[in-house]
Amino acid sequence: MTYPVPDNSRGIIALDENACTSCMLCARECPDWCIEIDSHKQTVQEEGARPRVVHVLDRFAIDFGLCMWCGICIEVCPFDALFWAKSYDHAATDPAQMVHERFDLRQWLNDVPEGTT
Amino acid sequence: MTWVQQVQDAREAGAVYFDVLTAVDLEADGFEVVCRLWDPDAKVEHLLATRCSREDPHVPSIVGVFAGAAWHERSVAEMFGIAFDGHDTAPLLLPESFEGHPLRKDFVLAAREAKQWPGAKDPGESDADLAVPRRRRAKPLGTREWPT
Ligand code: SF4
Ligand code: SF4
Repeated sequence: MTYPVPDNSRGIIALDENACTSCMLCARECPDWCIEIDSHKQTVQEEGARPRVVHVLDRFAIDFGLCMWCGICIEVCPFDALFWAKSYDHAATDPAQMVHERFDLRQWLNDVPEGTT
Repeated sequence: MTWVQQVQDAREAGAVYFDVLTAVDLEADGFEVVCRLWDPDAKVEHLLATRCSREDPHVPSIVGVFAGAAWHERSVAEMFGIAFDGHDTAPLLLPESFEGHPLRKDFVLAAREAKQWPGAKDPGESDADLAVPRRRRAKPLGTREWPT
């Protein structure tokens, strides 16, 4: 028998890479130090505009073996790039498998309840 | 009034539900042992506290009043190194070989020493950039100052 998962449940954390600016705030606020972000600077030149420097995300990983589901990262993100997703069956037998990279975090956007994104 | 008497009185006044017993490390001021009881009829909480010194940390055990406090006292004993008079507090959560009291503020968390803080990187940086010395780097909160 299965029960419906409520919309406000803390299943797993999803990342909207397009909204993320690599600002590092979530990684700095996380009490468990479990968010790893790598990025680099790139100069973009748009028609008729002065060149500007943007940050390009290279790696975004959350170690859910350390995460305590406090939600501070989601609260603190100024760009609304992090969300609680309802998907929850992510237990693993090896601690290394608890580290989820951006590909997984992006997939879980599909499990974010409507109205929160 | 003694600690046990305080708890006993609260229980007799209606706070019959024992919720939690824990401690706060007040550093030079010793330790505070805190206990929260609940009065289910009046729907009010009772927050009780007692102090002990850092040099000789011990308080009387309240397991005679609330047997359920036993696990909490065992946990406080191992985490803070506080003795409970009249209660033989065997380790509850920590392995027997564990040394030190991890919830004391002067306890150095090995995991924090071994791991590089992920927030040290600035926006637009990766691990390789950390090798470049910089005067001002963001520092993690709540950890001890690193010797430089
Ligand atoms: S929920 Fe809390 S512990 Fe988990 S990654 Fe976010 S800030 Fe860190
Ligand atoms: S706080 Fe938000 S925008 Fe900043 S790095 Fe984290 S996810 Fe990206």
